[in-house]
Amino acid sequence: MIGRYLIRIVWFVVFVLIQVLILNNMHIGGYATPFLYTYFILKLNSGISRNELMLWAFAIGLVIDIFSNTPGMNAATAVFLAFARPSILRLFSPRDGFEDSIPSFKTMGVSSFMKYVVTLVILHHSVLLSIEYFSFFNLSVLGLKIVASSLLTVLCIASIEGIKK
Amino acid sequence: MRNLLNFLLKYNYWFLFILLEVASFVLLFRFNHYQGSTFFTSSNQLAGKVYKVSGGISSYFYLKSANEDLLDRNMLLERQLNTLQKELINHKVDSMFVDSLISKPLAEYFVFKANVINNSIIKVDNYITLDKGSADGIRSEMGVLNGSGVVGIVYMVSPHYSLVLSMLNSKSSISCKIVGSNYFGYLKWDGGNSKYAFLKDLPRHAQFNLGDTVVTSGYSTVFPAGVMVGTIDDMADSRDGLSYSLKVRLAADFGKLSDVRVISKKNQSEQKTLEDITKKQQ
Repeated sequence: MIGRYLIRIVWFVVFVLIQVLILNNMHIGGYATPFLYTYFILKLNSGISRNELMLWAFAIGLVIDIFSNTPGMNAATAVFLAFARPSILRLFSPRDGFEDSIPSFKTMGVSSFMKYVVTLVILHHSVLLSIEYFSFFNLSVLGLKIVASSLLTVLCIASIEGIKK
Repeated sequence: MRNLLNFLLKYNYWFLFILLEVASFVLLFRFNHYQGSTFFTSSNQLAGKVYKVSGGISSYFYLKSANEDLLDRNMLLERQLNTLQKELINHKVDSMFVDSLISKPLAEYFVFKANVINNSIIKVDNYITLDKGSADGIRSEMGVLNGSGVVGIVYMVSPHYSLVLSMLNSKSSISCKIVGSNYFGYLKWDGGNSKYAFLKDLPRHAQFNLGDTVVTSGYSTVFPAGVMVGTIDDMADSRDGLSYSLKVRLAADFGKLSDVRVISKKNQSEQKTLEDITKKQQ
């Protein structure tokens, strides 16, 4: 039990560092920035309670906010992502198996796992970028950013998942 | 009663959800309106240390180009200095007077060296983190420059780090004028390209040419007059048609900032106090 938490904390630190030191400086074509820390929330085991999931999400969002000078922005979005996750996971997971497992290609199958990831990533990016662009509203730029960033994040997640298998 | 309790227990995650969202939005809006504590920004101790390590590594990648820029600028300034000295001596001015002129421009200002340890250019509100803080003499509302031009204004300070409001921030607004004509306006950034900002509120009768230099006006206490900001790239009317809005190509390259100077006027607080008193009385 404690071992599991230790591993989770290590991953937490790893994802925060990857996000703030590398990915936050990335802006392909001026539009696409991957938010790979969502992968940390997506990969928590399916049996986790909604409250615990939201607390983890709040923590990682807040730490990333502190590093990127956007207090509250990522935290709010990550909590929303964690809140929506169980329903989306139930929607796409196979009917028979409902035991405590980590969502992955192996446990869910490639197509349902990708559906699960794509839905939640698009949801997360839409909320995050909408909060950021709240002050000056430019719908076409916002839309382009959401699509480009979501594509990049999903690509990153799919490749990590592919390599791990 | 029991049903109500069951209901509340069953949906307890809603309460946590709302609680966490409210906490997040309080942070979000508080940061946007007040210069609150530095704890929730990258100028706090832990984030500052992490960025200091990574900034120390990545600054090596810019050394070569920074060096070349400095050499170019040095040569240009040396040539200008020589010509001006010759010109002055031709006019039979005392050489002591010439020497005193050289040390004059920054005599009214404190200058602190600092390194950029974190920087962003793609967000709507970009901030820069520096590795010097209040323990090194940095205070909020000091000006930040680099070799080629204005970079931003110090926003918050913690003991060893400081957070700079980059010119690439929707909240940034710097009073600027056009060299030669002295008409002034406010420089704002509208998001998008990090190379351009807009000079707004410039009167319609102002005269200028594309390619003219834009410098700080010196009206605020933050920057001395005449610090390079950029060059005029394009012109357009403002939305209400009452003034010009000029597209300015920024002199500082925000994509590769590493060494900067923080400056502060020696009697900044006096002018600030006077201005604040006037504002209160109105």
